[in-house]
Amino acid sequence: MTDSLDSNLKNILEQARSAIAVSEKPAQLEELRVNYLGKKGELTNQLKQIGSLPHEERPKFGDKVNAVKQEVAQLLNHKKAELDAIALAAALAAEKIDITLPGRGIGSGGIHPVTRTMQRIEDIFVAMGFGIATGPEIEDDFHNFEALNIPPEHPARAMHDTFYIDTAEGDEGTHLLRTHTSPVQARYMLSETPPINIIAPGRVYRCDSDVTHTPMFHQVEGLMVDEGISFADLKGVLTHFLRQFFETDLNIRLRPSYFPFTEPSAEVDISCVFCVDQQGKTQGCRICKQTGWIEVLGSGMIHPEVFKHVGIDSEKYTGFAFGLGVERLTMLRYGVTDLRLFFDNDLTFLEQFK
Amino acid sequence: MIISEQWLRDWVRVELSAQEIADCLTNAGLEVDGVESIAGPIENLVVGKVLTVEKHPDADRLNCTTVDIGSEVLNIVCGAANVRQDLMVAVATVGAKLPNGLKIKKAKVRGVESIGMLCSASELGLEENSAGLIELDADAEIGQRVDEYLQLDDKLIDIDLTPNRGDCLSVQGIAREMKVLADGSYHPLDIEAVAATIDDAIDVELQDSVNCPRYIGRVIKNISQEAVTPLWMQERLRRSAVRPISPIVDITNYVMIELGQPMHAFDLAKLNDKIVVRQSKAGEKIKLLDESEATLDAQTLIIADAQAPIAIAGVMGGLDSAIDDNTVDIVLEAAHFTRKSASGKARRYGLHTESSFRFERGVDPQLPPQAIERATELVLEICGGQAGPIVEQKQESAIQGKPAVEIRLDRLVSLLGMPLDEAEVDDILSRIADSVTGENGVWSVTPPSYRFDIECEADLVEEVARVKGYDNIPTKMPRIAPRSMAASEARIGERQVRQSLVARDYREAITYSFIDPAVHAIFSTEEPVKLANPLADNMAVMRTSLIPGLMGALQFNANRQHDRIRFYEVGASYHKDGKAFREEQKLSGVVLGQVAATQWGLSKPQNIDFYDVKSDLEAVLALTGHKNPIIFNEFEHIALHPGQSSLLTRNELNGDKTVLGWLGRLHPTVEKHYGVHNVVAFEINLGVALNAQLPSFQSVSRFPSIKRDLSVLVDQDLPIAGLLESLRNELGAVLVKVELFDLYRGQGVADDAKSISLSLVLQHQDKTMTDEEAEGLMAEARSLLETKWGATLRS
Repeated sequence: MTDSLDSNLKNILEQARSAIAVSEKPAQLEELRVNYLGKKGELTNQLKQIGSLPHEERPKFGDKVNAVKQEVAQLLNHKKAELDAIALAAALAAEKIDITLPGRGIGSGGIHPVTRTMQRIEDIFVAMGFGIATGPEIEDDFHNFEALNIPPEHPARAMHDTFYIDTAEGDEGTHLLRTHTSPVQARYMLSETPPINIIAPGRVYRCDSDVTHTPMFHQVEGLMVDEGISFADLKGVLTHFLRQFFETDLNIRLRPSYFPFTEPSAEVDISCVFCVDQQGKTQGCRICKQTGWIEVLGSGMIHPEVFKHVGIDSEKYTGFAFGLGVERLTMLRYGVTDLRLFFDNDLTFLEQFK
Repeated sequence: MIISEQWLRDWVRVELSAQEIADCLTNAGLEVDGVESIAGPIENLVVGKVLTVEKHPDADRLNCTTVDIGSEVLNIVCGAANVRQDLMVAVATVGAKLPNGLKIKKAKVRGVESIGMLCSASELGLEENSAGLIELDADAEIGQRVDEYLQLDDKLIDIDLTPNRGDCLSVQGIAREMKVLADGSYHPLDIEAVAATIDDAIDVELQDSVNCPRYIGRVIKNISQEAVTPLWMQERLRRSAVRPISPIVDITNYVMIELGQPMHAFDLAKLNDKIVVRQSKAGEKIKLLDESEATLDAQTLIIADAQAPIAIAGVMGGLDSAIDDNTVDIVLEAAHFTRKSASGKARRYGLHTESSFRFERGVDPQLPPQAIERATELVLEICGGQAGPIVEQKQESAIQGKPAVEIRLDRLVSLLGMPLDEAEVDDILSRIADSVTGENGVWSVTPPSYRFDIECEADLVEEVARVKGYDNIPTKMPRIAPRSMAASEARIGERQVRQSLVARDYREAITYSFIDPAVHAIFSTEEPVKLANPLADNMAVMRTSLIPGLMGALQFNANRQHDRIRFYEVGASYHKDGKAFREEQKLSGVVLGQVAATQWGLSKPQNIDFYDVKSDLEAVLALTGHKNPIIFNEFEHIALHPGQSSLLTRNELNGDKTVLGWLGRLHPTVEKHYGVHNVVAFEINLGVALNAQLPSFQSVSRFPSIKRDLSVLVDQDLPIAGLLESLRNELGAVLVKVELFDLYRGQGVADDAKSISLSLVLQHQDKTMTDEEAEGLMAEARSLLETKWGATLRS
């Protein structure tokens, strides 16, 4: 009796095993679960026959049935997982897209290269501890010239091709479009007291237009006034700035020059960034006119006359100022070869800058 | 200033090549623009003398010559018109290679043998074009190498002088500078006074000794009309970029280049009685050497005779008193005109001359006596004649030496930021100035009479630094007192605005601040600020708006196959403000074309309209964090579409109502002017618009909200903003959000109506909103819409 029940159990297990193995859909598995494990399922039926067994064999038989039940349940679960995985894989395969198609929507624009350079210059000086100041573009003669030690008829005025404002009768004094950002120096020193360390970025104007001149361009003025500021400090600040700006350990050369509002004055050259070799030696190229040097800015120690105009004691305080051309630095940094492109606003040009 | 290396070396001996001299000058602040060779050594080029000239048998224009070159006599066929017997010529013999590449070989010219060639100046590389043979001086040595005779192995050094260094506008000046910089041995000219051999003199009446503290005149009589300028002088003038003209003019120019003193010569016969140095009278006229006529103002220093002006002092001489081919007697002038008297005169009369250039920058007041003697010597040597006595009028006090300038070692050290040795400074100062006294680190330096640029201690500091070399000054980083303060949160930075527009696919443009007055008039009725001297008519007024410039940029690109353009610009506009001027910082934009570029997966993209750009602007202005919404009111503007433009205002917390700017579509006539269609533009006044509000925390409700939708029909012309605002006021704080999510016109809606669908979010701060409460609130809302806005409910 026990033997025949045992062999029944074995047969049921084998049948279940092969039925599960050939199932292809979750629904089939559900049907098999009911058939074998349900309330009226085959294994439940087997358990009902337990009454026909002698008392001492009943627990053992019960265990056997339960063991088979568990095994069938496990087989069903495994198979279910297998089928789910196949179904998911199929679904994923069906949802595959061409990920190389372009993205949809609007793109992004960009800032003007001059603004980009201006922001970079500002960031470098702000990180050094400089503040940012501004001043008017329609200036008066005093701030643009006289306070900067350029009296009327000074030959240096010939270097500034000045746009004058057509002033009507009764207007206050001579007005002009500032020819440099230096008047901000004068304004700032008139209103603030040392220590002063600022830069002043902005538009400036000269009445000159050709391949290398536009009637409007951008400068950044720098000004530092404190006790004990020296020419060596000027060299230090400009060297730091230029190396940061060009992100290379370029060489800096200062040459004596002349600006009425600084004394001593210096033109600042950098070693040419276009023809420098691996060892840091310049080879000479078209851009540096074979000299290995590129002129980038003008600078100097603030002239005592300027201090006098703005009421700062030049015995107690010393300082330096510098002025750099933003377009020039932009051209050097990004290799732009034609100044006039900056103000054509040709999208084909602007789109190169993000 | 262009200077000949050979000429410079006559004045100063330095162990430096031409390029090294150039580098030395550049490093000392006299920037050299270039060094150019005249010509290198030329072999087989010698001085010859033409012995005979005969017509070529077979060619009218050719001559057959015999030329003595010392070692032999050559037969040479020559085509130049100026060939003649006894002429001293430059002979290129067989084997010579000329600077233009020509190689000389034996040749037969129309059947006549020619052994060599007679050369012109251009063939020697001296001129661009030459008319005939170069005529060497009669005393040239036959057989001498021409390259040596003409110093062809010369280099031209082109120096770009700063305006403070007028003292370097001569060979003497550059030589002095090289003496200081390279410690070279200096060999100035030994100028001796030329004794008068006649008594003739001209009266000089110095009426204005303030502007002309020194005037020297000298009569020289009976000069030869046959005289020619010697070749060496012509050559030196040419190499200094001065064109040889006639012997007397060439001599005055030569002395100017050599010593730095501009000079002038008058024809004595054309002068009326005397020379008067005075201020001009308004309206006086003078015909000048360049054949122009100048009408003088009342503040110009002139040279006159007893009757009329004969020169604008230090600028240009008059035509009526000028030297010509028939001049026999001359008056030489060497005067000192002050910088102040000269400044601005060249510009005022449009006469920029070598002379005015020098006087504006300052000429050594001690030069005229030397210059007059040097010029006299040269005139007598080249043109013959007899010199009269020197006539000098001067204001001694005005031409005396300059005041001494003090310089302190400790100041020098602290200004340059480097240690300096007292002995070294003493040496440098002594090289610059003749008179240096001092002890204990304080010197008193009397600047030379030619150094107008040394007036204060700082000037001497630069001199020491320059001679020492800027390269030798150390580099150090100052301790910087922090001034860089983070920007206040009460303002949005322009960078954020820029970045926000960039993220919305706008591109920044930078346009000129001056625009065409005609274009200005399209966009504004405001009286613009005008330029007195615009570069061009279309750049004559300052912009009062950034839109004209941006429209120019938009049109530029629209004409170049761009059909989707989104530009913005940040910059100033310029306004008259009573008698003064005002600048306003603005953000402006122009937008044209599709909302998004044509692309896959989007149904045909729409062209932008008012609302697309409104959303961009709202997003930018939202950066300010203002709680009060931007109010869009209808707006009239001459360049905008009357039905699609709006003024932006905002109610500030303090109750002020600020105008932020405007947004609108361009007027169709303006669009037509630019050849474009459907452009939306905006202009925001950043000064007020970027004022920000700090976020202020509101407690976050933990209770669920209820969302209800509502669709009603309203009059088609009803502005929606007021309706939404009234709902917020009516329902109060429980209405946490109300949004318009659909707007419909068309089938099923009457022609004069529009259907709007609103979504309302209702929520309590302190308890759960019940359905009943929500229904009550919605009923309230419906009733408000019906009674206040004439809305009818849509089923």
